[in-house]
Amino acid sequence: MTIRMPGFGQRLRHLAVLGLLAAGLCSPGLQARPVDDVVDSGKLVVFAYSDYAPYSWKDDAGNAQGIDVEIGRRFGESLGVEVEFLIRGADENLDDDLRVNIWKGDIVYGKYADVMMHVPYDREVDARNELAVLTAPYFQEQMALLHNQSIHPTVETFGRFVTHPIAVEVDTAGDFFLSNAFRGQLLQSIRRGRTFQDAQQLYTSEEVGALMGARAQMEWVAHESPDIDSQIVQPPMPGIVRTGWPIGIAVKHDSRDLGYALGDVLTDMIDSGDMKDLYARYGVEWLPAELP
Amino acid sequence: MKRKNTMVAVAGTLALSVAGFSNTATAVDVSIDEIVNDQASGEDIVSYGLGPRGQRYSPLTALDKDNIKNLYPVWSFSFGGEKQRGQESQPLIKDGVMYVTGSYSRMWAIDIATGEELWQYDARLPEGILPCCDVVNRGAAILGDKVFFGTLDAKIVALDAKTGKVIWRKKLGDYEAGYSYTAAPLIVPTKAHGPLILTGNSGGEFGVVGQVDARNPDTGELVWSRPTIEGHMGTLNGEESSMTGVKNETWAGDMWENGGGAPWLGGTYDPDTALAYFGTGNPAPWNSYLRPGDNKWTSSRIAIDPENGEIVWGFQSTPHDGWDFDGVNEFIAFDMEKDGETIQAGATADRNGFFYVLDRTNGEFISATPFVQDITWAKGIDEKGRPLFDPENRPGNPAESADGKKGKAIFAVPSFLGGKNWMPMAYSKKTSNFYIPSNEWGMDIWNEPVTYKKGAAYLGAGFTIKPLFDDYIGSLKSMDPITGDIKWEYRNKAPLWGGVLTTEGGLVFMGTPEGYLKAFDDETGEELWKFQTGTGIVSSPITWEQDGEQYVAIVTGWGGAVPLWGGEVAKVVSYLNQGGSVWVFKIPEGLASN
Repeated sequence: MTIRMPGFGQRLRHLAVLGLLAAGLCSPGLQARPVDDVVDSGKLVVFAYSDYAPYSWKDDAGNAQGIDVEIGRRFGESLGVEVEFLIRGADENLDDDLRVNIWKGDIVYGKYADVMMHVPYDREVDARNELAVLTAPYFQEQMALLHNQSIHPTVETFGRFVTHPIAVEVDTAGDFFLSNAFRGQLLQSIRRGRTFQDAQQLYTSEEVGALMGARAQMEWVAHESPDIDSQIVQPPMPGIVRTGWPIGIAVKHDSRDLGYALGDVLTDMIDSGDMKDLYARYGVEWLPAELP
Repeated sequence: MKRKNTMVAVAGTLALSVAGFSNTATAVDVSIDEIVNDQASGEDIVSYGLGPRGQRYSPLTALDKDNIKNLYPVWSFSFGGEKQRGQESQPLIKDGVMYVTGSYSRMWAIDIATGEELWQYDARLPEGILPCCDVVNRGAAILGDKVFFGTLDAKIVALDAKTGKVIWRKKLGDYEAGYSYTAAPLIVPTKAHGPLILTGNSGGEFGVVGQVDARNPDTGELVWSRPTIEGHMGTLNGEESSMTGVKNETWAGDMWENGGGAPWLGGTYDPDTALAYFGTGNPAPWNSYLRPGDNKWTSSRIAIDPENGEIVWGFQSTPHDGWDFDGVNEFIAFDMEKDGETIQAGATADRNGFFYVLDRTNGEFISATPFVQDITWAKGIDEKGRPLFDPENRPGNPAESADGKKGKAIFAVPSFLGGKNWMPMAYSKKTSNFYIPSNEWGMDIWNEPVTYKKGAAYLGAGFTIKPLFDDYIGSLKSMDPITGDIKWEYRNKAPLWGGVLTTEGGLVFMGTPEGYLKAFDDETGEELWKFQTGTGIVSSPITWEQDGEQYVAIVTGWGGAVPLWGGEVAKVVSYLNQGGSVWVFKIPEGLASN
């Protein structure tokens, strides 16, 4: 069995490895909900990450916002049910997120959702998480760099960030890439935001002239700060594990038909051009999923 | 104590009713002196660890090697409901009342004479809570007329010991940012502020910086705070006090801002040196190649002056940790008689498999001895206390396998759950030996093909825990701290996850995941007594004297980290049943020694 390395020994984030064992021992009051059950109950529970603009976040009033939230609302309209959003932070890795948000629930209340948004569509992840099903890729994620052209007129490589600061959200794929890159030569220059908002703030305050992250996030930051002369680039990223990957949704293993029904909604949105328009409202260019 | 003995002399039944009367009529009043001298008084337990040093040694002798066979249960108290899992608590005892915490942030007061509930407190946990660190609670603190404990949503609550009503409640951290709380708070005396209640923070998210806080027990107001990571400012009386260490001395770039090092298991206090000792968690992120340097004070023991929150000394057991070796395990003050001299020493059995003896006045290294077998991550410990790393056995840098293939596995001993985990050891003033609950296991670690975090791809590591031996994982060891000799060993099939208690009567008590509370001969390790409680034990036993009789109690309820594991360890624990209760034992009248 595979267990991912924890950041802290105290954390019990390894439950996923138990798979069937844990499911048997700790099944919460909730059961998996195929599409008929969701429709009968009149409610669809949708999970999306917190602090993940432009995909999903909670505004100051506590309301869910973002691209993935709007897609979730479309799911509800299509099924003719209300939508409840479960907005929680990311755990150590996707396997943990699938456990907490799709098939087992949190350790206090055992609460989980019917569908999880923004799940990288990856055969290996799917195979090692037997109790979750990854389906319906609807978008192509990429890594990118945003730079302030009044500070850095052009950025062709990461070389200039040996001596100039670069912002990134702490403990993300972008952070791991920068920390490892060029044998640690960027280590002194990385300015880590505790949240994506914090990293964004380092950039929009013009304290730091560059920001690293997902391309859509970079486009969003540029869109939100039109006063800054921003440019998005994708310089060579030696050592990065992937420069792009498809994004889909996940449902519990015995709710496959719900996954198919929601996949149909996504296909309709893509075919009608609604998806492209939705992304555009957040300043993001929608890219079709590229299947490996 | 004496007063109660007189009552017992009148008549058994009368004594019970009088004791019950005194419970309801007299105000609870625990002084700071009682806490400091807790170990010497057998009739109550007003601190975690049976005294602030945490020695878990009782001077009581009524129970001994000869009569222990007569120990029988008096009552059992159920924690009820569905929330049975993970009972790691040590109860407190005062004036015939037991104060015990349970998992999911609950607490009870129980009349010891009858086993009946006096009150129950249930913290209302917010729905959005994702506690990083399981649902356990390890115990309460008591002072004056209040009992204190921390809740999973990172708050500390002061309750009226008589009624269980909330007197004050303070936030220790933001649960939405991943902070939680599971340890027993520590109460210490100070000249400047009177008694203070000390807590270490706990949180699993990257971005957490370890911190010890001191509060006024009457109001919950913060008096001082001390971050554990270099570069962060402490506070005293609402103002900045001093920086911890020197910024960037052992951290690169801005990594110190998010460094980890949470002292989540709490601390101990030594009245001789007037220092509080806290252990700190491992650094973040786990991939050590991303954070060059020693990363102080992660995976360390630090001594703090409770008067002002200043760090007096620090000792780093695992510099530049790469194996998830938390340094949180308890540091126990004891006086070591060596070559005709008395050394003010302290000892700790680290996750990393070494038993360290330090000078507790200044943190100077005295010795380190392996207390588990076949350690691979280090070849030994040098004369300054620094590990002699084996570079072959440091987990590889995932970035080295950017082709996305599963990398070569290394086998590291101990596993990241440690040669010893949170469960406290005991020190006997009778034998001058430590009794260490340990586990013999290692871990395979390899670079993993692509994984994802918050929607983005990166290279992680995979690992799995493996027992070292076919027939046992758990190992209770008696160790001589002067020579490092292991005097005896008791082997247990399942991994040990509960604390140890030793007594002047020559007994060592410990619970097992298989459900037994056991008593051993402190000199030979011979198993003298056992009782099956019906579910796994992952808590720390206590003993006290009441109405002239010696009692023993243990909280039971399988849980904690071990049952969450798959692989080969699951085979020895997967059949264990849930439960959640306190068991109290004594010897029927006439069968005790005196």
